[in-house]
Amino acid sequence: MAKFVFIVPPLTGHINPTLSMGAVLLERGHRVGWITLDESLAARLPEGGELLHISYDENDEQKRESEQYLDIITKKIVYGIDSLKFLYEEVLIPLNRHSYDGIIHLLDQFEPDLVITDHQMFAGAIAATNKGLPYATSVTAPAAIKVMEELPKVHEWEMNQVIGLQQEFGVDVPTPIVCSDLLTMVLTSQAFFGDMELTPNFRFTGPVINRPATKTAFDWDKLKESNNPKILISIGTTFDHEHKKSFFSKVIEAFGNEDITAVVVSDPDLFEQWPANFIVQRHVPQLDLLPHLDAVVCHGGHNTVCETLSNGLPMVVIPIAYDQSHVAGRVVRTGAGERLNFNRFKAHHLKEAVNTVLNNPAYKESAEVIKQSFLEAGGTATAADLLEQVASKQSLEVLKN
Amino acid sequence: MDTVASTGKLNKEEIFDLMKQFITEVIGEEFVEEMDITTESSFTKDLEMDSIEIVSFSEKIKAHFGDQIDFTGWLSSMDLDQLINLNLGMIINYIYECQ
Repeated sequence: MAKFVFIVPPLTGHINPTLSMGAVLLERGHRVGWITLDESLAARLPEGGELLHISYDENDEQKRESEQYLDIITKKIVYGIDSLKFLYEEVLIPLNRHSYDGIIHLLDQFEPDLVITDHQMFAGAIAATNKGLPYATSVTAPAAIKVMEELPKVHEWEMNQVIGLQQEFGVDVPTPIVCSDLLTMVLTSQAFFGDMELTPNFRFTGPVINRPATKTAFDWDKLKESNNPKILISIGTTFDHEHKKSFFSKVIEAFGNEDITAVVVSDPDLFEQWPANFIVQRHVPQLDLLPHLDAVVCHGGHNTVCETLSNGLPMVVIPIAYDQSHVAGRVVRTGAGERLNFNRFKAHHLKEAVNTVLNNPAYKESAEVIKQSFLEAGGTATAADLLEQVASKQSLEVLKN
Repeated sequence: MDTVASTGKLNKEEIFDLMKQFITEVIGEEFVEEMDITTESSFTKDLEMDSIEIVSFSEKIKAHFGDQIDFTGWLSSMDLDQLINLNLGMIINYIYECQ
């Protein structure tokens, strides 16, 4: 038995894969903890998982500071290249700086055999290094490690932010240490990630998909009563009301009363009335739903894209910010879908793009190729195997010394 | 079309028109009609181009001018702030100087 600890940022897309990996490690008899700023994660941990909450001996100011990080990323509308600056300067660096002392304290308390830190929780790698603990890295947004050949300075700028933080906490090396030399798990397949030379510590595990334990209610009868093509439209949660309204107005114009069934993830109260061929719910059981669908329209979040491709479905991607433009680029490059520009697209573009991916079988065939590459990569079990291997190798090293 | 030009040196106005044509090809004619594209137009804020679109714009310049202008090299030397502030006038000047 070994003791594993995941260090996660308060971002759902980054937490979910660790819940699956952790569940498998727990089933195999290990102890598993999660270091997080978000106390509410306790309710979502797999059975036996231990919440290690980052909290400080509170004066109230620090407490307030902790809370502001939980949803900071949803507080500002950012777009395109600008969003990277916001992400690092206003979210990731302050979040990591704030978390560092708490992580150190919890590592002392839990004494893990292996730390698994998210690639955006640089403080995790820094803390593990300073404590002399072995760590692996989980890359949940693979675009972040991909250097755009045409714009190399963008990645360099990102890495300089990380190096600056490392130096602040006494790790005086000129390169980022966030991707572990022992094991850096890239949660996709090489086929979807694309060509880039990586050292052997980088391992493609395929997507690690988390199946939520709770069932979400859904109008299955309405979905099944029609023989029309069925699509899901899910655009994430990081928008304000006006943006949502403008986006879904275009969706209604594109698909209202067409021969298509549109499942829309949205607050139903956004409009007084939705077209009759729409199923609108705030939450949908996405993983259960995907096998019944023909295509997906999404904003290019890595998890939704991977879940869609795991079902061999073509898609239309409308990226908004962060790495989404890159993910959308990969979808287009692999032939599994089309992309639209979020700020510019009009209803008829959306309609045409969806009809294109539905009617031209090449898109679905390409999606099936990626699906196959995901299956071959292995997913959750592969990730758990790799983590066990590193942990046992590390404990042998300790015995030898 | 995207062919290597054999004509002589372009003046700034001609370069502006050419850039406008490339932008149109990248983002689509109907959007360009709604925009007031000037030398002050920034790629991220005004033209709302994301990184993938900027790269595809630069490929068009490369296809047109060939080895005459190392546009991708110039672009790849830009850091994040320079990219965010990049406007059409800067590109026109660069191409004009390089000819």
